[in-house]
Amino acid sequence: MGNLDLLHYRPWRGQFRPPRAGVWPVARVALWMIFRRKLFWVLYALGLFIFLLFFFGQYLLAWAETQTGEANVRVGGFGRANPQQLIGILRGFLKLNGSGETYGIFFNYQGYMVMIILALAGAILVGNDIRFGSLPFYLSKPLSRWHYLLGKALAVAVFVNLMTTLPAVVLFVQYGLLDSWDYFLDQAGLFVGILGYGLVLTVTLSLVLLATASWLQRTVPMIMAWTILFLFCRLLAQVLVERLHYDAAWRLIDLWNCTYVVGHACLGIDLQALRPGVQPPWYQAALVLAGVCALCLIYLVLRIRAVEVVKG
Amino acid sequence: MEQGFIDLDNVSRWYGKHLALRQINLHLRPGRIGLLGPNGAGKSTLLKILLGLLPPSAGTGRVLGYPLAPVGADSSLAGALSQLTDELFGSGGALRRAIGYMPEADALIPGLQGAEYVALAGELYGMPRREAQRRAHEVLTYLGLEDARYRRLEEYSTGMKQRLKLAQALVHDPPVLLLDEPTSGLDPAGRDAMLELLLCLGRDHGKSFLLSTHLLGDVERVCETVVILHEGQVVRHGSVAELCTQRHDQYRLQLQGPADGFLADLRLEGVQVLHDNGRGEVRVSVPHGWSTRTFFVLADNHNVLLRGLQRDDEDLEELFHRVLAENGRNGQP
Repeated sequence: MGNLDLLHYRPWRGQFRPPRAGVWPVARVALWMIFRRKLFWVLYALGLFIFLLFFFGQYLLAWAETQTGEANVRVGGFGRANPQQLIGILRGFLKLNGSGETYGIFFNYQGYMVMIILALAGAILVGNDIRFGSLPFYLSKPLSRWHYLLGKALAVAVFVNLMTTLPAVVLFVQYGLLDSWDYFLDQAGLFVGILGYGLVLTVTLSLVLLATASWLQRTVPMIMAWTILFLFCRLLAQVLVERLHYDAAWRLIDLWNCTYVVGHACLGIDLQALRPGVQPPWYQAALVLAGVCALCLIYLVLRIRAVEVVKG
Repeated sequence: MEQGFIDLDNVSRWYGKHLALRQINLHLRPGRIGLLGPNGAGKSTLLKILLGLLPPSAGTGRVLGYPLAPVGADSSLAGALSQLTDELFGSGGALRRAIGYMPEADALIPGLQGAEYVALAGELYGMPRREAQRRAHEVLTYLGLEDARYRRLEEYSTGMKQRLKLAQALVHDPPVLLLDEPTSGLDPAGRDAMLELLLCLGRDHGKSFLLSTHLLGDVERVCETVVILHEGQVVRHGSVAELCTQRHDQYRLQLQGPADGFLADLRLEGVQVLHDNGRGEVRVSVPHGWSTRTFFVLADNHNVLLRGLQRDDEDLEELFHRVLAENGRNGQP
């Protein structure tokens, strides 16, 4: 500080933006905290691998459909395959037919990777703000606790949509380009459904992540909580409904299944066709999700309201 | 800004049944103001109200012309809804934009670099990103952190963290700073540097600040005005110079010989013996207009040798405690 005589304080006279403009900086810093760790890039790349499977699977299918006259065709360096069998595998396993099922399966597979990454990222996104006392830094600024929550939720939303909705839209566009332009017009509802499934995942996962991360704060308890919430509850629901033949409503304790059911309803898929067969009605699943989201929101508001910006 | 820096009229704040602030009436002009008080005096509650983080339970007030949060805004449903709407879409936070707040706690974001942290603070105050980044570098350079700008926050020393917290409060060039224990945890050299910096900001750059502290030396060194809070009430408010005139003149005497008669005579003259170590060292407080010659005359009368006479005035800390004690005895501010 010996250079005070040399360096003078300079005033700033600029235009301030409204407090809501602070939402994006909060989200940007949260995303930066995630992406500066190599582990997340590895997991993100793994997530993209599923997308690439669908992306190149559609090209392979389109190509195999032109080879149906041949008995055997060479598939890259992997060997030879019967075109009919190849088409059967691609249509049966990945449901590569440009229908709602294609995107439903894609969202479902991709969702698992999203959950793993979010369980690992929760502590960095929100937990650290509480653990290391960063919250007073945010809340002493003009933005309110709602702006802070919106910023953090936006960070989760960007991440979830980069992993799910955006690749699904790319697949939609790709299928339309491979098929015909009419696909875009005929399946416009499907496009809205993709956005709807993305919205269901975004809202649910954002709120559940923010609530559990602000409660547990550290990575290991976060992973344990998410394992119980999304894996243990899933297994329990399966045992109750499939083995013990309880009512299908017991599947509602499986939060991930609720997003699956509501998401597939957005894509216009008949719930009878869903795996496993017996599912509760979509509106019941939607009600459960709404209830869980409301509880998470109430907890978050109370948790952040309790933060002391000025220490007593 | 001259028309009103802080104007509080009968501001009270309850936490359930506990009364944290009791009918505070405070009219402060811009300047360097010290806010003193022991723990539980209501300093933090007052700062929260001034920052607009907490509505008063009763009373009205304005800070820099901005009204305080409406009374009871957090207690009724309609009030809470109105507050929510204002927080999300309104121009709420205008008060906090005019104020730079330096918290006592670290409030850092681990992983960020110094320049990123200060620029983020600028953006959260509402500055455009590029301007916030440019301003962050300027402020960090001004505060002597130019070499540490690209270091991660967890690598900063305590003194650097304090300056960084000041930088994030200063990034948007607010007219007012609220400083919560700015010298907390600093070594003597760091404390001197911080106080010099604050004095420079206030005196040379026209920044007004409210310095909340329990270190009276800090207030004495940088503030012009002092507000003393005790049990939620303002017990003293005035200029530091004015407060210092209320200091008692005190002396430290070194005596040789039987001093009982000498001390008894001193007491008759209105002198208060504050401390007697029994080995000839006495600290006394004298009435106004006291002449040191009287010490020698009385010592001579009692055959006491006055080996040393040293002025040892009451410091601001002692004055502070005396004011609190007097307030306790009188039961009023």
